[in-house]
Amino acid sequence: MDFVRSPEQAPPIPVKIVVAGGFGVGKTTTVGAISEISPLTTEAVMTSAGVGVDDPGQLTGKTTTTVAMDFGCVTIDRSLKLYLFGTPGQSRFGFMWDDLSHGALGALVVVDSSRLDDCYPAVDYFERARLPFVVAVNAFDGKLAHDLDEVRWALAIDERIPVVAFDARNRISVRDALLVLLDRALDDAVQGQTAQ
Amino acid sequence: MTHVPPEEPAGPARIRPFLGVAGLGSPSADATPAGLRPFVLTSGRVDGVDPDIGLETQVTARSDGPMRTGVPVASLAPELRTIMALSAAPISVAEISARARLHLGVTRILVGDLRAAGYLDVHAREAARPDPDTILRVIRGLRAIS
Repeated sequence: MDFVRSPEQAPPIPVKIVVAGGFGVGKTTTVGAISEISPLTTEAVMTSAGVGVDDPGQLTGKTTTTVAMDFGCVTIDRSLKLYLFGTPGQSRFGFMWDDLSHGALGALVVVDSSRLDDCYPAVDYFERARLPFVVAVNAFDGKLAHDLDEVRWALAIDERIPVVAFDARNRISVRDALLVLLDRALDDAVQGQTAQ
Repeated sequence: MTHVPPEEPAGPARIRPFLGVAGLGSPSADATPAGLRPFVLTSGRVDGVDPDIGLETQVTARSDGPMRTGVPVASLAPELRTIMALSAAPISVAEISARARLHLGVTRILVGDLRAAGYLDVHAREAARPDPDTILRVIRGLRAIS
């Protein structure tokens, strides 16, 4: 195999944002709307995936499941590259989120306002992990089943957690939702620095 | 000229244990063998993954790797050769996994092996939490998108 090496390319510093949410809420659409490559899929084998986070006592033996994860990227500048990882929102995949959250800028929790309970595990997880996150309600066809205040009330989330409506198919709309998240992340990072 | 490739069975290009979309759920009988198969490539190792190797971690092939080990890349296992070819320019572990059609866990183990053998550079993770300057650069970068 012939290696044609491009003139010693220094690798960019990677940063990442987790895009979490239940099945079919538009995670891949969100990633695809902003990514400069069409989303790629990788798969991971989960062992003991049957163990519920809520019920750690009920060990029913090891099971294996394959979880698909979609991701894309945005080149910020020559030395910085943003990755977006779309991850399944079920609590039984929670331990995959440890890997994903490590070093992440934050998480966008994509929500279908007519199926709010799909996003509870993700919201719980990011609250506990103290990872900055934003609840982004995907407005299918520009319509929301509940208004944003109702969503906030139903999710019982902290007032400081932004809840925004967005259109997962629209690049600018996705960008703006990510910018809301990054503002949160910046606040956290600045506070973290002054606290030291 | 008249050679017609035999029709391939459904989706052979996919990652092998194709369990399909979550929610369609019928893993049942073949769940166990399907889950085990990818780790044959790693001689059954499923853990001991280098914590430096995250999904977004950048990997580059070392041009002097084969010289150091005395084993040319061409003599490596096909999966390892694929990883080496993909890493000719900086690439993330997740992207290697997707493009080489290897499971993420398998990819991380093989990348770790290639690093340990001196074929690859793994550009270790930065601090656990990004600093404000980096976040500001991302904000500026995203604002430039239209």
